Amino acid sequence: MSSATRSERWSGYALLTVMAIAVVIPFLSVFLASVQPAGTPVVGLTWPERWSWDNYEQAWSVAAFSDLIRHSIVIAVGVVPASLVLAALAGYALGTMRLPGGNAVAGFFIAGLTIPVELIVVPLYFDLRGLGLTNSFLGVILVEIALFMPFSVFWMRTHFQSTPTSLVEAARIDGASSATILLRILLPLARPSLMTLGLLVFMWSWKQFLLVLVLIQDTTKHTAPAGLGFFVGQNSTDIPTLAAGTIIVMLPILILFVIFQRSFIAGLLQGAMKG
Amino acid sequence: MESTHRVRRRIAGAVCAVALVLPLTACDALTPGSAAAVPGPRSVPSSTAVPDDDITLRLQFADAPPMVDALIAAFEKDHPGISVEPQYKTFTDYVQNLKLTMTSDSAPDIAQYAVGMTDLAADGHILDLAPYREAYGWDESIPPVSLDQLTAGQNSEATGGRALFGVPAGLSMTGIYYNKELAERAGIDGPPRTLAEFEDQLAAAKEAGLTPLGVGGLDTGGLHLWAALLNQTMPTDDYWDWVNGTKGATLENKAGTTASELVVEWGRKGYYNESANGTAQLDSTAQFTKGDSVFLVNGNWAAGQLATAMGDNVGFFPMPGERADDPTVASGFSVAYAVSSRTEHPEAAGAFLDFLTSPEAGQIISDNGFLPPNPEAVAKPKGVLADVAEGHRRAVADDGITTFPDFAAPAMLDRLRSGVQKLIADRIEPADYLDSLQDEWEEHHAE
Amino acid sequence: MRSRPPVRPPGAPRRSPWRGYVYVLPAFAVYFAFAVLPALHTAYLSLFEWDGVTLGEWVGLGNYQEILQDAVLRRSVFNALVLVVFFSFVPIVLGLAMTGLLARYRRPGMGAYRFLFMLPQVVPLVAVGVTWRWLYGDDGLVNQTFRAVGLDGVTRAWLGDFGAALIAVGLVGTWVLSGLCMMLFLSGVQKVDPSLYEAARIDGAGPVREFVSVTLPHLRGELAVAMTVTTVAALASFDIVYVTTNGGPGEQTTVPGLLVYRLAFSEGKVGLAAALAVVLGCLILGIVYLINRLSRSET
Repeated sequence: MSSATRSERWSGYALLTVMAIAVVIPFLSVFLASVQPAGTPVVGLTWPERWSWDNYEQAWSVAAFSDLIRHSIVIAVGVVPASLVLAALAGYALGTMRLPGGNAVAGFFIAGLTIPVELIVVPLYFDLRGLGLTNSFLGVILVEIALFMPFSVFWMRTHFQSTPTSLVEAARIDGASSATILLRILLPLARPSLMTLGLLVFMWSWKQFLLVLVLIQDTTKHTAPAGLGFFVGQNSTDIPTLAAGTIIVMLPILILFVIFQRSFIAGLLQGAMKG
Repeated sequence: MESTHRVRRRIAGAVCAVALVLPLTACDALTPGSAAAVPGPRSVPSSTAVPDDDITLRLQFADAPPMVDALIAAFEKDHPGISVEPQYKTFTDYVQNLKLTMTSDSAPDIAQYAVGMTDLAADGHILDLAPYREAYGWDESIPPVSLDQLTAGQNSEATGGRALFGVPAGLSMTGIYYNKELAERAGIDGPPRTLAEFEDQLAAAKEAGLTPLGVGGLDTGGLHLWAALLNQTMPTDDYWDWVNGTKGATLENKAGTTASELVVEWGRKGYYNESANGTAQLDSTAQFTKGDSVFLVNGNWAAGQLATAMGDNVGFFPMPGERADDPTVASGFSVAYAVSSRTEHPEAAGAFLDFLTSPEAGQIISDNGFLPPNPEAVAKPKGVLADVAEGHRRAVADDGITTFPDFAAPAMLDRLRSGVQKLIADRIEPADYLDSLQDEWEEHHAE
Repeated sequence: MRSRPPVRPPGAPRRSPWRGYVYVLPAFAVYFAFAVLPALHTAYLSLFEWDGVTLGEWVGLGNYQEILQDAVLRRSVFNALVLVVFFSFVPIVLGLAMTGLLARYRRPGMGAYRFLFMLPQVVPLVAVGVTWRWLYGDDGLVNQTFRAVGLDGVTRAWLGDFGAALIAVGLVGTWVLSGLCMMLFLSGVQKVDPSLYEAARIDGAGPVREFVSVTLPHLRGELAVAMTVTTVAALASFDIVYVTTNGGPGEQTTVPGLLVYRLAFSEGKVGLAAALAVVLGCLILGIVYLINRLSRSET
């Protein structure tokens, strides 16, 4: 560090700060707009003369964002545990056992990493309608599980591959069944990985838009992003309420991000790297 | 351990079952569409009885939320057993999702009539209301002509007469609003009598340093402007032929070119608000109330809002014709409501539709800037609402209410929106624009 | 892929090696039923002309032919490729530049920055789109800034301007993805042995040469990842466009995702929508394959 010139060190921070400001300003702009008195025409970045939280109340109860948030949570709560269980099982088998054709199967999962929603959404609508799964949270949950499954399986497989073989072998010599090994030995060790995966899956589920737009036509069953997408068309003139709605949609995931930022960031970076 | 095994097997079994069912539904009939039941047109019972139980009707709509809220409130007061739950979508969202919505299991009981309903009617997704027409005597309470707009080109299997797939709550039309104070400042003394005079007024407004014409071109404002001009340049019968898909109809002629060239020319002369293509109709209306432009292209649905915000300072006129004695022609439709075939309460829906034909509803409709199907039944409106009513009366008298051009084909709205945006920005030759519309038209009306 | 010794203890009863698939089956079934099968079904539908309601008609590759001929459809693919520049190229260059400037020394206090840079990653893109729709509006922050510095002539409704709309949408992508690229590269650099930098410095290498000869070669993996993630985001973009411009003005910002949705569900051209979806899927798959091929073969 001694060889670092002072100016170089500080210019680095200055640069980082400039970029950080560029990232934060849009958020700040929306937030400040959301606390302006309802109905006022807001220009760009304006410090409110009077802080008003009424817009949140308005968006929450009148514009029914409370329902939207609830629906998003219901779906995420359906998707996350199922994804974790299925991915842990599959990852365990593909990562620790020698399965005939196991690599091919793993490759088949990995190939799904690049499936865009656009590729599957058209027939999904018609097929699921035939099964009575449109306008139902279950339909969205099943598709989301499937959509995130390639990554989830891949993530858990990588995790199990990196656990020491000796652990598994010792247990096996003691006569433990493969299920016991997974439940008693490997899963407790996998908690951090499962945690990160759970957060990522929750986030993806929260962000999903196109799928919900197509599969759920009943506007009273929309999720947070879909509801916001419709809300913007109807209320583009009432910036404060729209801004409050936007903040409400972002808030749950932001709170999780603040609490679990280490897991989140590690997951996002490693997840990308491993994918 | 054994039980978790069993549970897991059961989950796996369930998943496998689904995995099996999916390909089956996909494959049992290999050609898409063959599995879908085609029930054909369905109709309602021919009685006016309404059950006494507590019923909730879901109503999805895209125009005039304050009017709908007021109508629902009045209806619920008359029918304590029935409550109506309104679901509002913007016009773009509504039209974009209409087919998905109405063919899904959770289709709303009542839905606003819009482009695409014709197909839905043919496939039996909305109910034929012709039996109600007789049972409730709607032909007496509203002029039959406004019901005949809503036949989807079909005859009723139930009554043998013309089918009916919607009941109009209010009639709509587009035209030009003007800010009286700003008009005066530009030396404009009243509504123009000819198109040329209107152009002079636009020029005068520009001269006075004002923005002449507000257009909300991000969604539908631009197409209303273009259609309003087309209504003046094209014989009404030819226009109807084109919208209805009559063989041989075309826009690629002098009338279409003149209208499109005007849109381009006005753009070149800087008559539009600078960000016309980035402004939604809702926003252009809000800007007009703030005095951002002298004129505004919009429909009567904005009249209620404008009257509230601007009082006596705003007036309305239909787009004038090329000569002073030309008939008044304006695009318009009815804000009508159709009933889903999936509703469990066709009787209650019928009661709601019947309420729309009552004088009480007519008054609410009129107060909100719409034209009640039966204008005699309501008090005479004031201010800009009177201008709108007068314009509509003239257009009706001249047989000059034409429908909107996007009714020509399901994909036409997108072609029109993006095409007029290009005209406004001077990014396309009128001939190429008309060609793109005609291509879409021919594709849809090929068979 | 590491190979493992068999974990069966000697002498234990030999079990079928297929038994392990019991664990894989549930995940596989869901994945197959709700992702793989619909993808195949899309390919099948793309061979029909179908309005979604009545009986479809077999047209073979006719829909693909139409994609080649139709100006709007071609335009959408072109727009998506332009978005790649803003979603992928710019963030990566920006990220590399920052990394070059920052990599030479460890800095305390990076945690807070990392948190901020990753922020756009976690929020729904719809919310991002709504935010920027307002920022780009007549009274939005962008115009406010230009007015503040006296550039009143530059202000416009950015999303409604033929020249600016696509760039404006693209820059939203730049805003979302730059932080991710930068953090990827910076965390990649952490793995570089500091002595390599020392050695380069002793050789008298300046910051540029140091970056080219030490930093860059170690970031090959991260580069491939960043390119993959951002390119897929650009090609499959839907959310941001849907809420900001809905494809306008004209077809300036129409992207394939938007058309798939529109064609299938409001214009009644399900087969054409499916064909476009297949083209999009293949494009993504092809580019991802290419990136990974290149990043490996360069070693």
